[in-house]
Amino acid sequence: MGDEKIQVRRRDLKFATRTVTKIWEEVPSAHNPFLAERCRCHGYDLFGLIRTRSFIDVLYLLFRGELPSPEQAQMIESLMIGLINPGPRHPATRAAMNAGVGKTNSVHILPIALSVLGGAYLGGEEVEAAIRFIRQNQSREAALVAEELLATRNNGEGDCHIAPGFGSRFGGIDPVPQELAVLLCSLPACGKALRWGTDFVNALGREGMGWLASGVAACVFCDLGFQPQAGAGLFQLFCAPGLLAHGLELASPYKSIAAMPFLDEEHYVIAPEAKKRNR
Amino acid sequence: MSLPRKQKKETVDLTFWHKRHGVIYSRKGGWVVGEAVYNHGYSMMDELVGKASFFQVLILNVTGRMVERRLADWLENIFICLSWPDARIWCNQVGSLGGTMRTSPVAAVCSGVLAADSPMYGSAPLLAASQFIVDALLKKNKGMPVAEIVKLQQRRPGMPPNIVGYARPVASGDERVPAMKRVSSELGYTSGEHLTLAFEIEGFLLEKFNESMNIGGYIAGFLSDQEFNPQEIYRMCSMVVNSGVHACYVESMENPPESFFPLRCDDIDYQGVPSRPVPARG
Repeated sequence: MGDEKIQVRRRDLKFATRTVTKIWEEVPSAHNPFLAERCRCHGYDLFGLIRTRSFIDVLYLLFRGELPSPEQAQMIESLMIGLINPGPRHPATRAAMNAGVGKTNSVHILPIALSVLGGAYLGGEEVEAAIRFIRQNQSREAALVAEELLATRNNGEGDCHIAPGFGSRFGGIDPVPQELAVLLCSLPACGKALRWGTDFVNALGREGMGWLASGVAACVFCDLGFQPQAGAGLFQLFCAPGLLAHGLELASPYKSIAAMPFLDEEHYVIAPEAKKRNR
Repeated sequence: MSLPRKQKKETVDLTFWHKRHGVIYSRKGGWVVGEAVYNHGYSMMDELVGKASFFQVLILNVTGRMVERRLADWLENIFICLSWPDARIWCNQVGSLGGTMRTSPVAAVCSGVLAADSPMYGSAPLLAASQFIVDALLKKNKGMPVAEIVKLQQRRPGMPPNIVGYARPVASGDERVPAMKRVSSELGYTSGEHLTLAFEIEGFLLEKFNESMNIGGYIAGFLSDQEFNPQEIYRMCSMVVNSGVHACYVESMENPPESFFPLRCDDIDYQGVPSRPVPARG
Protein backbone atom coordinates (compact mmCIF):
# COMPACT_ATOMS: atom_id res chain seq x y z
CA MET A 1 0.00 0.00 0.00
CA GLY A 2 2.83 2.41 -0.73
CA ASP A 3 3.12 5.56 -2.83
CA GLU A 4 2.67 5.22 -6.56
CA LYS A 5 1.75 7.29 -9.58
CA ILE A 6 -1.03 6.38 -11.91
CA GLN A 7 -1.75 7.48 -15.45
CA VAL A 8 -5.16 9.11 -15.71
CA ARG A 9 -6.18 9.77 -19.29
CA ARG A 10 -9.33 11.32 -20.68
CA ARG A 11 -11.26 8.75 -22.65
CA ASP A 12 -12.00 9.33 -26.29
CA LEU A 13 -15.64 9.76 -25.43
CA LYS A 14 -17.58 12.07 -27.73
CA PHE A 15 -19.85 14.28 -25.66
CA ALA A 16 -22.73 16.03 -27.41
CA THR A 17 -22.03 19.65 -28.31
CA ARG A 18 -25.71 20.47 -27.80
CA THR A 19 -28.36 18.70 -25.73
CA VAL A 20 -30.98 17.10 -27.94
CA THR A 21 -34.72 17.09 -27.18
CA LYS A 22 -37.73 15.87 -29.09
CA ILE A 23 -40.15 17.32 -26.55
CA TRP A 24 -39.92 21.08 -26.53
CA GLU A 25 -38.92 23.63 -29.11
CA GLU A 26 -38.07 27.15 -28.13
CA VAL A 27 -37.99 29.75 -30.88
CA PRO A 28 -35.57 32.52 -29.89
CA SER A 29 -36.61 36.11 -29.64
CA ALA A 30 -35.28 38.20 -32.52
CA HIS A 31 -33.66 40.57 -30.03
CA ASN A 32 -32.33 38.19 -27.38
CA PRO A 33 -31.22 34.61 -28.06
CA PHE A 34 -31.52 33.79 -24.36
CA LEU A 35 -35.30 34.42 -24.43
CA ALA A 36 -37.87 32.26 -26.19
CA GLU A 37 -40.57 33.95 -28.23
CA ARG A 38 -42.60 30.79 -28.96
CA CYS A 39 -42.67 27.40 -27.30
CA ARG A 40 -43.93 24.23 -28.92
CA CYS A 41 -44.65 20.91 -27.28
CA HIS A 42 -44.13 18.10 -29.78
CA GLY A 43 -44.87 20.59 -32.52
CA TYR A 44 -47.96 22.22 -30.95
CA ASP A 45 -47.81 25.88 -30.01
CA LEU A 46 -48.13 26.33 -26.25
CA PHE A 47 -50.75 29.06 -26.57
CA GLY A 48 -52.74 26.98 -29.04
CA LEU A 49 -52.77 24.20 -26.45
CA ILE A 50 -53.82 26.60 -23.70
CA ARG A 51 -56.75 27.81 -25.80
CA THR A 52 -58.09 24.50 -27.00
CA ARG A 53 -56.90 21.54 -24.92
CA SER A 54 -57.15 20.34 -21.32
CA PHE A 55 -54.31 19.98 -18.84
CA ILE A 56 -54.64 16.17 -19.06
CA ASP A 57 -54.30 16.34 -22.87
CA VAL A 58 -51.08 18.33 -22.63
CA LEU A 59 -49.70 16.14 -19.86
CA TYR A 60 -50.20 13.07 -22.02
CA LEU A 61 -48.73 14.88 -25.03
CA LEU A 62 -45.64 15.83 -23.06
CA PHE A 63 -44.81 12.23 -22.19
CA ARG A 64 -46.20 10.30 -25.16
CA GLY A 65 -45.62 12.72 -28.01
CA GLU A 66 -49.22 12.73 -29.26
CA LEU A 67 -52.49 14.07 -27.89
CA PRO A 68 -54.64 11.43 -26.21
CA SER A 69 -57.99 10.18 -27.43
CA PRO A 70 -60.92 11.27 -25.22
CA GLU A 71 -60.97 7.73 -23.77
CA GLN A 72 -57.26 7.85 -22.87
CA ALA A 73 -57.67 11.31 -21.34
CA GLN A 74 -60.59 10.03 -19.28
CA MET A 75 -58.46 7.14 -18.02
CA ILE A 76 -55.61 9.43 -16.93
CA GLU A 77 -57.91 11.92 -15.29
CA SER A 78 -59.68 9.14 -13.38
CA LEU A 79 -56.37 7.72 -12.18
CA MET A 80 -55.15 11.17 -11.19
CA ILE A 81 -58.24 11.76 -9.08
CA GLY A 82 -57.91 8.27 -7.61
CA LEU A 83 -54.31 8.91 -6.58
CA ILE A 84 -54.63 12.59 -5.71
CA ASN A 85 -54.20 12.03 -1.99
CA PRO A 86 -52.53 9.01 -0.38
CA GLY A 87 -54.24 10.20 2.81
CA PRO A 88 -53.06 11.59 6.15
CA ARG A 89 -51.82 8.21 7.47
CA HIS A 90 -49.59 7.43 4.50
CA PRO A 91 -45.87 7.70 5.37
CA ALA A 92 -45.23 10.13 2.49
CA THR A 93 -48.04 12.39 3.66
CA ARG A 94 -46.79 12.15 7.21
CA ALA A 95 -43.35 13.24 5.98
CA ALA A 96 -45.04 16.32 4.48
CA MET A 97 -46.94 16.89 7.73
CA ASN A 98 -43.77 16.55 9.80
CA ALA A 99 -42.14 19.14 7.58
CA GLY A 100 -45.21 21.36 7.87
CA VAL A 101 -45.62 21.18 11.62
CA GLY A 102 -41.86 21.64 12.08
CA LYS A 103 -42.18 24.86 10.06
CA THR A 104 -39.70 23.58 7.50
CA ASN A 105 -39.08 25.96 4.62
CA SER A 106 -42.35 25.55 2.70
CA VAL A 107 -40.60 24.90 -0.62
CA HIS A 108 -39.16 21.72 0.88
CA ILE A 109 -42.49 20.12 1.80
CA LEU A 110 -43.15 18.56 -1.59
CA PRO A 111 -39.58 17.29 -2.30
CA ILE A 112 -39.45 15.75 1.17
CA ALA A 113 -42.75 13.94 0.74
CA LEU A 114 -41.98 12.86 -2.82
CA SER A 115 -38.66 11.36 -1.71
CA VAL A 116 -40.54 9.14 0.73
CA LEU A 117 -43.04 8.34 -2.01
CA GLY A 118 -40.18 7.23 -4.24
CA GLY A 119 -39.53 4.07 -2.27
CA ALA A 120 -39.64 0.46 -3.31
CA TYR A 121 -42.64 -0.08 -1.00
CA LEU A 122 -45.89 1.50 -2.27
CA GLY A 123 -43.85 4.19 -4.01
CA GLY A 124 -42.41 5.15 -7.35
CA GLU A 125 -39.83 2.36 -7.36
CA GLU A 126 -42.57 -0.19 -6.82
CA VAL A 127 -44.61 1.29 -9.69
CA GLU A 128 -41.60 0.98 -11.99
CA ALA A 129 -41.02 -2.61 -10.87
CA ALA A 130 -44.73 -3.37 -11.27
CA ILE A 131 -44.75 -2.12 -14.86
CA ARG A 132 -41.81 -4.40 -15.64
CA PHE A 133 -43.54 -7.32 -13.87
CA ILE A 134 -46.76 -6.81 -15.84
CA ARG A 135 -44.92 -6.42 -19.14
CA GLN A 136 -43.03 -9.65 -18.52
CA ASN A 137 -46.05 -11.65 -17.42
CA GLN A 138 -49.18 -10.36 -19.13
CA SER A 139 -48.86 -12.82 -21.98
CA ARG A 140 -49.11 -15.67 -19.46
CA GLU A 141 -52.18 -16.89 -17.65
CA ALA A 142 -52.58 -14.69 -14.56
CA ALA A 143 -53.78 -17.52 -12.31
CA LEU A 144 -50.72 -19.59 -13.17
CA VAL A 145 -48.35 -16.72 -12.40
CA ALA A 146 -50.15 -16.20 -9.09
CA GLU A 147 -49.91 -19.88 -8.26
CA GLU A 148 -46.15 -19.94 -8.94
CA LEU A 149 -45.53 -16.87 -6.83
CA LEU A 150 -47.70 -18.08 -3.96
CA ALA A 151 -45.75 -21.34 -3.90
CA THR A 152 -42.52 -19.44 -3.22
CA ARG A 153 -44.12 -17.00 -0.80
CA ASN A 154 -41.99 -16.00 2.16
CA ASN A 155 -44.15 -15.81 5.28
CA GLY A 156 -42.24 -13.14 7.16
CA GLU A 157 -43.54 -10.53 9.55
CA GLY A 158 -45.63 -7.68 8.20
CA ASP A 159 -47.24 -7.48 4.80
CA CYS A 160 -46.46 -9.51 1.73
CA HIS A 161 -46.12 -8.03 -1.75
CA ILE A 162 -46.35 -11.21 -3.76
CA ALA A 163 -45.36 -9.18 -6.82
CA PRO A 164 -44.66 -5.47 -7.21
CA GLY A 165 -48.01 -3.67 -7.04
CA PHE A 166 -49.93 -6.58 -5.54
CA GLY A 167 -50.24 -7.77 -1.96
CA SER A 168 -51.63 -7.07 1.47
CA ARG A 169 -51.70 -3.85 3.45
CA PHE A 170 -51.89 -3.91 7.24
CA GLY A 171 -52.71 -7.59 7.07
CA GLY A 172 -55.65 -7.22 4.69
CA ILE A 173 -56.87 -6.20 1.27
CA ASP A 174 -56.89 -2.42 0.88
CA PRO A 175 -60.45 -1.56 -0.26
CA VAL A 176 -59.79 1.74 -2.06
CA PRO A 177 -57.37 0.41 -4.70
CA GLN A 178 -59.78 -2.49 -5.34
CA GLU A 179 -62.65 -0.09 -6.01
CA LEU A 180 -60.42 2.17 -8.08
CA ALA A 181 -59.35 -0.77 -10.24
CA VAL A 182 -62.96 -1.86 -10.77
CA LEU A 183 -63.91 1.68 -11.79
CA LEU A 184 -60.96 2.00 -14.18
CA CYS A 185 -61.73 -1.41 -15.69
CA SER A 186 -65.20 -0.12 -16.59
CA LEU A 187 -63.76 2.71 -18.71
CA PRO A 188 -63.48 2.38 -22.49
CA ALA A 189 -59.66 2.76 -22.38
CA CYS A 190 -59.23 -0.25 -20.10
CA GLY A 191 -56.60 -2.44 -21.75
CA LYS A 192 -54.84 -5.73 -21.45
CA ALA A 193 -52.77 -4.86 -18.37
CA LEU A 194 -55.73 -3.78 -16.21
CA ARG A 195 -57.65 -6.88 -17.23
CA TRP A 196 -54.64 -9.10 -16.55
CA GLY A 197 -54.15 -7.41 -13.17
CA THR A 198 -57.78 -8.09 -12.31
CA ASP A 199 -57.36 -11.79 -13.13
CA PHE A 200 -54.16 -11.86 -11.08
CA VAL A 201 -55.89 -10.24 -8.09
CA ASN A 202 -58.81 -12.66 -8.35
CA ALA A 203 -56.31 -15.50 -8.09
CA LEU A 204 -54.72 -13.88 -5.00
CA GLY A 205 -57.92 -13.01 -3.17
CA ARG A 206 -58.09 -16.19 -1.14
CA GLU A 207 -54.67 -15.36 0.31
CA GLY A 208 -55.69 -11.98 1.69
CA MET A 209 -53.93 -10.00 -0.99
CA GLY A 210 -55.15 -7.70 -3.72
CA TRP A 211 -54.47 -4.53 -5.66
CA LEU A 212 -52.12 -1.97 -4.20
CA ALA A 213 -52.31 1.62 -5.43
CA SER A 214 -48.91 1.12 -7.05
CA GLY A 215 -50.25 -1.85 -9.03
CA VAL A 216 -53.34 -0.02 -10.25
CA ALA A 217 -51.21 2.89 -11.43
CA ALA A 218 -48.73 0.52 -13.09
CA CYS A 219 -51.47 -1.23 -15.09
CA VAL A 220 -52.89 2.08 -16.31
CA PHE A 221 -49.43 3.27 -17.32
CA CYS A 222 -48.85 -0.02 -19.16
CA ASP A 223 -52.15 0.26 -21.01
CA LEU A 224 -51.38 3.84 -22.03
CA GLY A 225 -47.90 2.94 -23.27
CA PHE A 226 -45.78 4.71 -20.66
CA GLN A 227 -42.29 3.41 -20.03
CA PRO A 228 -41.48 1.94 -16.59
CA GLN A 229 -39.24 4.87 -15.61
CA ALA A 230 -41.98 7.34 -16.51
CA GLY A 231 -44.40 5.39 -14.32
CA ALA A 232 -42.28 5.97 -11.21
CA GLY A 233 -42.26 9.73 -11.58
CA LEU A 234 -45.85 10.04 -12.80
CA PHE A 235 -47.02 8.17 -9.72
CA GLN A 236 -45.18 10.71 -7.57
CA LEU A 237 -46.65 13.55 -9.62
CA PHE A 238 -50.22 12.27 -9.39
CA CYS A 239 -49.99 11.80 -5.59
CA ALA A 240 -48.27 15.16 -5.07
CA PRO A 241 -51.34 17.38 -4.55
CA GLY A 242 -52.51 15.52 -1.46
CA LEU A 243 -49.03 15.42 0.03
CA LEU A 244 -48.64 19.16 -0.40
CA ALA A 245 -52.13 19.96 0.89
CA HIS A 246 -51.58 18.04 4.13
CA GLY A 247 -48.11 19.51 4.60
CA LEU A 248 -49.41 23.03 4.12
CA GLU A 249 -52.32 22.43 6.47
CA LEU A 250 -49.85 21.85 9.29
CA ALA A 251 -47.43 24.53 8.09
CA SER A 252 -50.04 27.15 8.86
CA PRO A 253 -48.77 29.79 11.29
CA TYR A 254 -51.85 29.07 13.37
CA LYS A 255 -50.67 25.49 13.99
CA SER A 256 -48.03 25.12 16.65
CA ILE A 257 -45.37 22.43 16.74
CA ALA A 258 -47.63 20.66 19.24
CA ALA A 259 -50.32 20.15 16.57
CA MET A 260 -49.08 16.61 15.91
CA PRO A 261 -48.37 13.81 18.40
CA PHE A 262 -44.91 13.73 19.98
CA LEU A 263 -44.72 10.50 21.92
CA ASP A 264 -43.94 10.55 25.62
CA GLU A 265 -41.27 8.25 27.12
CA GLU A 266 -43.89 5.59 27.82
CA HIS A 267 -44.62 5.30 24.11
CA TYR A 268 -41.08 5.79 22.81
CA VAL A 269 -39.50 2.57 23.96
CA ILE A 270 -35.71 2.46 23.88
CA ALA A 271 -34.28 -1.04 24.06
CA PRO A 272 -32.14 -1.57 27.20
CA GLU A 273 -29.07 -2.37 25.10
CA ALA A 274 -29.36 1.04 23.40
CA LYS A 275 -29.10 2.69 26.82
CA LYS A 276 -26.24 0.71 28.23
CA ARG A 277 -23.75 -1.23 26.24
CA ASN A 278 -21.97 -4.26 27.62
CA ARG A 279 -18.39 -3.17 27.37
CA MET B 1 -50.14 10.35 24.67
CA SER B 2 -51.59 7.23 23.19
CA LEU B 3 -53.58 6.74 20.03
CA PRO B 4 -57.14 5.34 20.11
CA ARG B 5 -57.29 1.59 20.39
CA LYS B 6 -59.13 -0.76 18.04
CA GLN B 7 -62.87 -0.35 18.01
CA LYS B 8 -64.43 -2.60 15.40
CA LYS B 9 -64.58 -6.38 15.32
CA GLU B 10 -61.67 -7.72 13.28
CA THR B 11 -61.80 -10.64 10.91
CA VAL B 12 -58.04 -11.05 10.38
CA ASP B 13 -55.18 -11.37 12.86
CA LEU B 14 -53.85 -7.87 13.42
CA THR B 15 -51.60 -8.65 16.39
CA PHE B 16 -48.49 -7.56 14.50
CA TRP B 17 -50.03 -4.18 13.70
CA HIS B 18 -51.63 -3.54 17.09
CA LYS B 19 -48.31 -4.22 18.81
CA ARG B 20 -46.78 -1.34 16.88
CA HIS B 21 -49.77 0.97 17.06
CA GLY B 22 -49.16 4.15 19.03
CA VAL B 23 -45.63 3.14 20.04
CA ILE B 24 -42.15 3.58 18.54
CA TYR B 25 -39.62 0.90 19.48
CA SER B 26 -35.97 1.73 19.00
CA ARG B 27 -32.84 -0.34 19.27
CA LYS B 28 -30.83 2.67 18.14
CA GLY B 29 -31.50 5.09 20.96
CA GLY B 30 -33.25 8.35 21.70
CA TRP B 31 -33.72 11.23 24.05
CA VAL B 32 -34.93 10.63 27.58
CA VAL B 33 -35.72 14.18 28.60
CA GLY B 34 -33.77 15.22 31.67
CA GLU B 35 -31.73 12.01 31.67
CA ALA B 36 -29.61 11.48 28.57
CA VAL B 37 -29.50 11.14 24.81
CA TYR B 38 -28.72 7.51 24.13
CA ASN B 39 -27.04 6.20 21.00
CA HIS B 40 -26.33 2.49 20.67
CA GLY B 41 -25.53 2.12 24.34
CA TYR B 42 -23.62 5.38 24.66
CA SER B 43 -24.71 8.52 26.43
CA MET B 44 -24.00 10.99 23.64
CA MET B 45 -23.15 14.03 25.72
CA ASP B 46 -21.02 12.06 28.19
CA GLU B 47 -19.32 9.48 25.99
CA LEU B 48 -19.33 10.66 22.38
CA VAL B 49 -19.18 14.45 22.20
CA GLY B 50 -15.56 15.52 22.40
CA LYS B 51 -14.39 11.91 22.55
CA ALA B 52 -15.39 10.30 19.26
CA SER B 53 -14.94 11.77 15.80
CA PHE B 54 -17.90 12.69 13.57
CA PHE B 55 -17.12 9.75 11.29
CA GLN B 56 -16.94 7.32 14.21
CA VAL B 57 -20.43 8.43 15.21
CA LEU B 58 -21.61 8.28 11.59
CA ILE B 59 -20.46 4.66 11.33
CA LEU B 60 -21.99 3.95 14.74
CA ASN B 61 -25.35 5.32 13.64
CA VAL B 62 -25.29 3.41 10.37
CA THR B 63 -23.96 0.07 11.57
CA GLY B 64 -24.20 0.00 15.36
CA ARG B 65 -20.42 -0.49 15.55
CA MET B 66 -18.05 1.88 17.32
CA VAL B 67 -14.97 1.57 15.16
CA GLU B 68 -11.44 2.62 16.01
CA ARG B 69 -10.53 6.20 15.20
CA ARG B 70 -8.21 5.35 12.32
CA LEU B 71 -11.01 3.61 10.40
CA ALA B 72 -13.21 6.67 10.82
CA ASP B 73 -10.32 8.82 9.61
CA TRP B 74 -9.96 6.52 6.61
CA LEU B 75 -13.65 7.05 5.75
CA GLU B 76 -13.25 10.79 6.18
CA ASN B 77 -10.56 10.71 3.51
CA ILE B 78 -12.96 8.84 1.21
CA PHE B 79 -15.43 11.70 1.62
CA ILE B 80 -12.64 14.07 0.57
CA CYS B 81 -11.79 11.89 -2.44
CA LEU B 82 -15.36 11.87 -3.73
CA SER B 83 -16.20 15.54 -3.23
CA TRP B 84 -14.59 17.68 -5.91
CA PRO B 85 -15.45 21.34 -6.53
CA ASP B 86 -15.89 20.75 -10.29
CA ALA B 87 -19.17 22.10 -11.62
CA ARG B 88 -19.08 19.83 -14.67
CA ILE B 89 -19.61 16.73 -12.53
CA TRP B 90 -23.31 15.95 -12.75
CA CYS B 91 -24.20 16.05 -9.05
CA ASN B 92 -22.09 19.16 -8.51
CA GLN B 93 -23.80 20.93 -11.37
CA VAL B 94 -27.11 20.29 -9.64
CA GLY B 95 -25.64 22.24 -6.72
CA SER B 96 -24.57 25.04 -9.08
CA LEU B 97 -28.01 25.17 -10.64
CA GLY B 98 -29.57 25.35 -7.18
CA GLY B 99 -27.30 28.23 -6.29
CA THR B 100 -28.02 30.14 -9.46
CA MET B 101 -31.75 29.76 -8.78
CA ARG B 102 -31.25 30.85 -5.16
CA THR B 103 -32.37 27.70 -3.39
CA SER B 104 -31.36 27.15 0.19
CA PRO B 105 -27.99 25.41 0.64
CA VAL B 106 -29.81 22.44 2.14
CA ALA B 107 -32.03 22.03 -0.93
CA ALA B 108 -29.08 22.30 -3.32
CA VAL B 109 -26.85 19.90 -1.40
CA CYS B 110 -29.64 17.37 -0.86
CA SER B 111 -30.48 17.54 -4.57
CA GLY B 112 -26.84 17.01 -5.51
CA VAL B 113 -26.55 14.08 -3.12
CA LEU B 114 -29.69 12.57 -4.66
CA ALA B 115 -28.19 13.03 -8.11
CA ALA B 116 -25.16 10.99 -7.07
CA ASP B 117 -27.41 8.08 -6.12
CA SER B 118 -26.77 6.73 -9.60
CA PRO B 119 -25.54 3.39 -10.87
CA MET B 120 -23.00 5.32 -12.98
CA TYR B 121 -21.12 7.23 -10.27
CA GLY B 122 -21.33 8.53 -6.69
CA SER B 123 -22.69 6.46 -3.84
CA ALA B 124 -24.93 3.84 -5.47
CA PRO B 125 -22.14 1.90 -7.27
CA LEU B 126 -20.67 1.06 -3.87
CA LEU B 127 -23.54 -1.34 -3.27
CA ALA B 128 -22.94 -3.26 -6.49
CA ALA B 129 -19.14 -3.05 -6.20
CA SER B 130 -19.26 -4.45 -2.66
CA GLN B 131 -21.65 -7.20 -3.64
CA PHE B 132 -19.36 -8.09 -6.53
CA ILE B 133 -16.21 -8.40 -4.44
CA VAL B 134 -17.99 -10.36 -1.70
CA ASP B 135 -19.39 -12.80 -4.29
CA ALA B 136 -16.04 -12.93 -6.11
CA LEU B 137 -14.21 -13.91 -2.92
CA LEU B 138 -16.72 -16.69 -2.27
CA LYS B 139 -16.06 -17.97 -5.79
CA LYS B 140 -12.31 -17.69 -5.39
CA ASN B 141 -12.43 -19.57 -2.10
CA LYS B 142 -14.29 -22.35 -3.90
CA GLY B 143 -11.41 -22.54 -6.35
CA MET B 144 -12.51 -20.33 -9.23
CA PRO B 145 -9.56 -18.55 -10.89
CA VAL B 146 -9.64 -14.77 -11.41
CA ALA B 147 -9.92 -15.16 -15.18
CA GLU B 148 -13.10 -17.17 -14.71
CA ILE B 149 -14.56 -14.66 -12.23
CA VAL B 150 -13.99 -11.90 -14.80
CA LYS B 151 -15.35 -14.00 -17.63
CA LEU B 152 -18.68 -14.30 -15.81
CA GLN B 153 -19.03 -10.53 -16.12
CA GLN B 154 -18.49 -10.46 -19.88
CA ARG B 155 -21.51 -10.27 -22.16
CA ARG B 156 -19.52 -11.75 -25.02
CA PRO B 157 -16.04 -13.29 -25.16
CA GLY B 158 -13.39 -10.68 -25.91
CA MET B 159 -15.58 -7.79 -24.80
CA PRO B 160 -14.48 -5.77 -21.77
CA PRO B 161 -16.38 -7.03 -18.73
CA ASN B 162 -18.82 -4.75 -16.99
CA ILE B 163 -17.72 -4.85 -13.37
CA VAL B 164 -18.81 -2.12 -10.98
CA GLY B 165 -15.67 -0.95 -9.21
CA TYR B 166 -13.50 -1.05 -12.32
CA ALA B 167 -13.14 1.55 -15.12
CA ARG B 168 -14.92 4.93 -14.93
CA PRO B 169 -16.99 7.04 -17.34
CA VAL B 170 -14.85 10.00 -18.44
CA ALA B 171 -11.24 8.86 -17.95
CA SER B 172 -9.19 5.72 -17.58
CA GLY B 173 -7.20 5.30 -14.40
CA ASP B 174 -8.22 6.74 -11.04
CA GLU B 175 -5.89 9.06 -9.14
CA ARG B 176 -7.95 8.54 -5.98
CA VAL B 177 -6.86 4.92 -5.63
CA PRO B 178 -3.12 5.58 -5.09
CA ALA B 179 -4.03 8.50 -2.84
CA MET B 180 -6.13 6.23 -0.66
CA LYS B 181 -3.52 3.48 -0.78
CA ARG B 182 -1.14 6.01 0.73
CA VAL B 183 -3.69 6.95 3.41
CA SER B 184 -4.32 3.29 4.21
CA SER B 185 -0.63 2.66 4.55
CA GLU B 186 -0.12 5.70 6.78
CA LEU B 187 -2.95 4.52 9.00
CA GLY B 188 -1.29 1.13 9.30
CA TYR B 189 -3.69 -0.92 7.19
CA THR B 190 -2.67 -3.84 5.03
CA SER B 191 -4.80 -5.51 2.37
CA GLY B 192 -7.21 -8.17 3.54
CA GLU B 193 -8.73 -10.97 1.48
CA HIS B 194 -11.25 -8.81 -0.39
CA LEU B 195 -8.84 -6.04 -1.30
CA THR B 196 -6.14 -8.50 -2.29
CA LEU B 197 -8.57 -10.18 -4.66
CA ALA B 198 -9.71 -6.79 -5.94
CA PHE B 199 -6.10 -6.02 -6.93
CA GLU B 200 -5.71 -9.43 -8.54
CA ILE B 201 -8.77 -8.69 -10.65
CA GLU B 202 -7.35 -5.28 -11.49
CA GLY B 203 -4.09 -6.89 -12.61
CA PHE B 204 -6.00 -9.19 -14.94
CA LEU B 205 -8.13 -6.33 -16.32
CA LEU B 206 -5.08 -4.13 -16.89
CA GLU B 207 -3.34 -6.86 -18.80
CA LYS B 208 -6.32 -7.91 -20.91
CA PHE B 209 -8.39 -4.74 -21.28
CA ASN B 210 -6.23 -1.85 -20.01
CA GLU B 211 -8.86 -1.01 -17.38
CA SER B 212 -8.06 -0.39 -13.73
CA MET B 213 -9.83 -0.31 -10.41
CA ASN B 214 -11.77 2.83 -9.58
CA ILE B 215 -12.23 4.34 -6.14
CA GLY B 216 -15.54 2.48 -5.72
CA GLY B 217 -13.77 -0.84 -6.18
CA TYR B 218 -11.13 0.18 -3.67
CA ILE B 219 -13.71 1.29 -1.09
CA ALA B 220 -15.68 -1.93 -1.59
CA GLY B 221 -12.64 -4.16 -1.10
CA PHE B 222 -11.27 -2.24 1.87
CA LEU B 223 -14.55 -1.90 3.78
CA SER B 224 -15.53 -5.51 3.07
CA ASP B 225 -12.24 -6.46 4.75
CA GLN B 226 -13.40 -4.41 7.72
CA GLU B 227 -16.43 -6.71 7.90
CA PHE B 228 -19.03 -4.25 6.70
CA ASN B 229 -21.71 -5.68 4.42
CA PRO B 230 -22.62 -4.06 1.07
CA GLN B 231 -25.68 -2.26 2.43
CA GLU B 232 -23.67 -0.82 5.32
CA ILE B 233 -21.00 0.42 2.91
CA TYR B 234 -23.60 2.09 0.67
CA ARG B 235 -25.34 3.63 3.68
CA MET B 236 -22.24 5.07 5.34
CA CYS B 237 -21.26 6.69 2.02
CA SER B 238 -24.73 8.14 1.27
CA MET B 239 -23.54 11.74 1.60
CA VAL B 240 -20.12 11.19 0.06
CA VAL B 241 -20.41 13.99 -2.54
CA ASN B 242 -21.69 16.52 -0.01
CA SER B 243 -18.88 19.03 0.09
CA GLY B 244 -18.18 19.10 -3.66
CA VAL B 245 -21.82 19.93 -4.33
CA HIS B 246 -21.69 22.56 -1.62
CA ALA B 247 -18.65 24.26 -3.16
CA CYS B 248 -20.41 24.50 -6.52
CA TYR B 249 -23.58 25.78 -4.88
CA VAL B 250 -21.70 28.51 -3.06
CA GLU B 251 -19.87 29.71 -6.16
CA SER B 252 -23.02 30.11 -8.24
CA MET B 253 -24.88 31.58 -5.27
CA GLU B 254 -22.26 34.31 -5.10
CA ASN B 255 -22.83 35.26 -8.74
CA PRO B 256 -25.90 36.94 -10.25
CA PRO B 257 -29.02 34.74 -10.50
CA GLU B 258 -29.27 32.47 -13.56
CA SER B 259 -25.76 33.47 -14.63
CA PHE B 260 -24.33 29.99 -14.16
CA PHE B 261 -23.69 28.49 -17.61
CA PRO B 262 -26.70 30.20 -19.27
CA LEU B 263 -28.08 28.61 -22.43
CA ARG B 264 -29.30 30.33 -25.57
CA CYS B 265 -32.35 28.85 -27.27
CA ASP B 266 -30.16 27.43 -30.03
CA ASP B 267 -27.98 25.62 -27.49
CA ILE B 268 -30.77 23.06 -27.38
CA ASP B 269 -30.99 20.90 -30.47
CA TYR B 270 -34.70 20.31 -31.08
CA GLN B 271 -35.15 17.19 -33.16
CA GLY B 272 -38.86 16.59 -32.60
CA VAL B 273 -41.99 16.96 -34.69
CA PRO B 274 -42.10 20.18 -36.77
CA SER B 275 -44.64 22.87 -35.98
CA ARG B 276 -48.23 21.67 -36.51
CA PRO B 277 -51.71 23.10 -35.83
CA VAL B 278 -53.40 22.12 -32.58
CA PRO B 279 -56.46 19.96 -33.36
CA ALA B 280 -59.75 20.84 -31.68
CA ARG B 281 -60.95 18.47 -28.97
CA GLY B 282 -62.80 15.47 -30.34
